[in-house]
Amino acid sequence: MAAYFNMETLKFLMFNVHKLEELLLNERYNAFDKESILLFLQSVADFSDQDLYPIFKEMDEKPAKFSEGKIHVHPKIKDILIKQGELGVIGASFDESMGGLQLPATVMHAAYFIMEAANNHIPGYAGLTAGAAHLISSFADKKYHDQYVPNMLSGEWSGTMCLSEPQAGSGLSDIKCSAKPLDDGTFLIKGHKIFISGGDHEYAGNIIHLLLARIEGAPAGTKGISLFIVPKYKISPDQTLVNNDVITAGDFQKMGQRGYCTAHLVFGDNDQCTGYLVGEENKGLLYMFQMMNDARIAVGRGGAAIASAAYYASLQYAQERQQGRRLLSGGRKDEAAGPTLIINHPDVRRMLFLQKAIYEGSLSLILQSSIYHDREISEKENNNHWNLLLEFLTPITKTYPSEKGKLAVDNGLQILGGYGFCADFILQQYYRDIRIMSIYEGTTGIQSLDLLGRKVLMENGLVLKTMLAEIQHTISEGKMDERLRATAKELEDQLPLVEATLAHLIPIAMKGETEKFVSDATLFMEAVGTIVVAWQWLKIGITASNVLKSSDAAFSASMLKNKLHTMRFFYKYELARNKSIFKIIQSDEVLTLAEDDAFPD
Amino acid sequence: MKLLVCISKTPDTTAKIAFNGENTKLETAGITFIMNPYDEWYALVKAIEIQEKWGGSVSVLHVGPSENDAIIRKALAIGATDAHRIDTEAVSADQVAFQMASFIQQHAFDIIFTGKETIDYNGAEVGGRMAAQLNLPFISFASHLDIVTENEAIVKRDMEGGTETIQVNTPFVISAAKGMAEQRIPNMKGIMTAKSKPLNVVTPQEYSPKISIVSHELPPAKKAVQYIDPENMAELARLLREEAKVI
Ligand SMILES: Cc1cc2nc3c(=O)[nH]c(=O)nc-3n(C[C@H](O)[C@H](O)[C@H](O)COP(=O)(O)OP(=O)(O)OC[C@H]3O[C@@H](n4cnc5c(N)ncnc54)[C@H](O)[C@@H]3O)c2cc1C
Repeated sequence: MAAYFNMETLKFLMFNVHKLEELLLNERYNAFDKESILLFLQSVADFSDQDLYPIFKEMDEKPAKFSEGKIHVHPKIKDILIKQGELGVIGASFDESMGGLQLPATVMHAAYFIMEAANNHIPGYAGLTAGAAHLISSFADKKYHDQYVPNMLSGEWSGTMCLSEPQAGSGLSDIKCSAKPLDDGTFLIKGHKIFISGGDHEYAGNIIHLLLARIEGAPAGTKGISLFIVPKYKISPDQTLVNNDVITAGDFQKMGQRGYCTAHLVFGDNDQCTGYLVGEENKGLLYMFQMMNDARIAVGRGGAAIASAAYYASLQYAQERQQGRRLLSGGRKDEAAGPTLIINHPDVRRMLFLQKAIYEGSLSLILQSSIYHDREISEKENNNHWNLLLEFLTPITKTYPSEKGKLAVDNGLQILGGYGFCADFILQQYYRDIRIMSIYEGTTGIQSLDLLGRKVLMENGLVLKTMLAEIQHTISEGKMDERLRATAKELEDQLPLVEATLAHLIPIAMKGETEKFVSDATLFMEAVGTIVVAWQWLKIGITASNVLKSSDAAFSASMLKNKLHTMRFFYKYELARNKSIFKIIQSDEVLTLAEDDAFPD
Repeated sequence: MKLLVCISKTPDTTAKIAFNGENTKLETAGITFIMNPYDEWYALVKAIEIQEKWGGSVSVLHVGPSENDAIIRKALAIGATDAHRIDTEAVSADQVAFQMASFIQQHAFDIIFTGKETIDYNGAEVGGRMAAQLNLPFISFASHLDIVTENEAIVKRDMEGGTETIQVNTPFVISAAKGMAEQRIPNMKGIMTAKSKPLNVVTPQEYSPKISIVSHELPPAKKAVQYIDPENMAELARLLREEAKVI
């Protein structure tokens, strides 16, 4: 079996760097221990080896296809969805009162990371089903939970999130899909939804759409959006399933994730589509944010997972491919020694370290965010603190692994030279698959607006302050370790750059020049994202250094030393670039604001 | 039926193997241990299948210290009823077989399963040694097992170019090979249920070792890819014959 992730690294990050066992002391999670979690992750890894990885290439070569009004996906999907239900990856993190086991989300993210590294075309089906079921359980009337959720958690029924419409992608305030109230308290739904992941396929007994629509007469903009449960098949009083006037109009043919169907759905073309209101009218977007925030972390995780798989594929190639000679000290080629393995060339090693630094740093960031999430829902007294940290990290956790993951996979492909460009090798598939991560669930542009335009200013800067205090705490810890003092100082030197950049930007916002204020939000995201991942690497370094000093033999010394080496790589090759990014943001020269509709040709 | 499955631990197949103590002991730092796959995938799952059909219980038995409890818990998560751990380090096939047979002598089991071999030392000795001490029939490398009645079974073993079919009465010892059953992956519910299943710690019997390890040697490191001039097919044939030993 090809390697696509590293269990030792995952364990090290979860239990040593992020101290998962401390979280497990919490009442909500204390049924679990390290042993049960490791067993679960091993089960997920075995399942991924046996069921997911073997059909990864095939799903790309024989993509989901629309014909005769239906979308046809890989025939193994039916079996896989049921197995995922049994394994627990759909429902185990639900509350016990809702049929779950209260497994920490952190463990669930680790499980999905493994599955996505094995085959990123599949886990979305189960992930969306879990997200949709969670929305129903959290906000809908209990009777809807009883009708839909058990079948969703078992993997027999699927779930989706239906937000996007042809005219409303990033801008959800322009949603047109309508909901007309009926006398029996239900609604008649009418409209088009596009790009719906897992929107239709023949292997789900029913598909439960969580759909945003506007009730007739509702206020304009996002304040007039409500959330509805719209099943593909309605449950009739005698419990049989009947058509609910949801028509599949097509499946988008994509450059990547081709086995993961993306539907165009038409609701209520025959005025027969029933929707059931979730919670209160006009609060739909608020509710949907629960699913969207989880999905944002999930998308970042997908980016990290693909980058992990690409790294191990390119590492294996670099360890087998011979090409060129090593250079002797005088610059001459070592002809006598014959061709060397390409892993011995510094430039190839640079590309490998870059991938490793990005994917492991991203994975650590995902675990960090999910620990905050788990603490927020389980520590009632202090939950605002964890919530602030999670709020700040969510757009970064979505964006950094998606954007830098692309760069990592690009470097992985480059390691294969010409073969990287060829269909016989898997790197080109990872390169195409990862491309969607910075687009769906809010593009990088939208996440960056969220970070700079909302999160930085939120609660009068308290969110940012809380985050910086957390980073400073790690810096102080790092400074106490001789081996890490210089690294901690380099991270500390970044913090005044953030402050100076905000000192430049905030007066612009105060003057009401909002568009100018956020015009370089994506650059701000890039620089702050790098700082946050550098913080993760410092945490990894502190932990590796401590374990090396201790007598704990759970990890090999070479693995721990590699972590310290990769940390240094990240600081030298990635963090150091930040200065110039901050300089661009602070420049007074304005080149991107639209003065009129014209753009130079 | 009362079924017993003997399980052992082995390094994960991807583990990088090294030795310490002047090459007499496996270096365990950084190594992940797993349940021996023949014990888990074939012996244990077959026993569970029999229990599901015929009723009774599936106990697992392991010789090793408490660090190995995770492996025992996995067996319980897959579906075993209870577990017994003989609390001593496993040092040789002879010692493990002796300890387990001594335990079995005090309990009546209808069928005693082992895997066909462990994937580290590949000795395939424990089942035979146990059967000898217990004075029970032993069928090795079994690929099929059908229970005819609670007292009688039909076993198939793969042989070079064919199969052998054997009739045997309970109690007996059997070592399970590929084909006997299919791997079952424990799910989260099973893992949590396993935590409350009994795991009894058994005091080992007195044992005096009959052998000691002098040293281990690793096989030579894998060579890098070798390029052969297309004009020189004779050299390719020679390498395939003499080095790769595939022709
Ligand atoms: C494969 C796939 C699966 C998907 N799955 C789902 C799903 O399951 N459910 C669902 O509801 N949707 C889904 N989507 C839709 C996805 O979320 C949208 O495509 C995405 O939000 C962008 O919307 P858009 O495509 O309309 O682009 P647009 O919104 O038109 O954006 C185009 C460009 O303009 C930029 N832009 C737009 N507005 C602004 C602004 N205010 N400021 C700065 N820049 C801006 C964007 O960043 C982008 O670069 C999926 C899409 C794809 C491709």
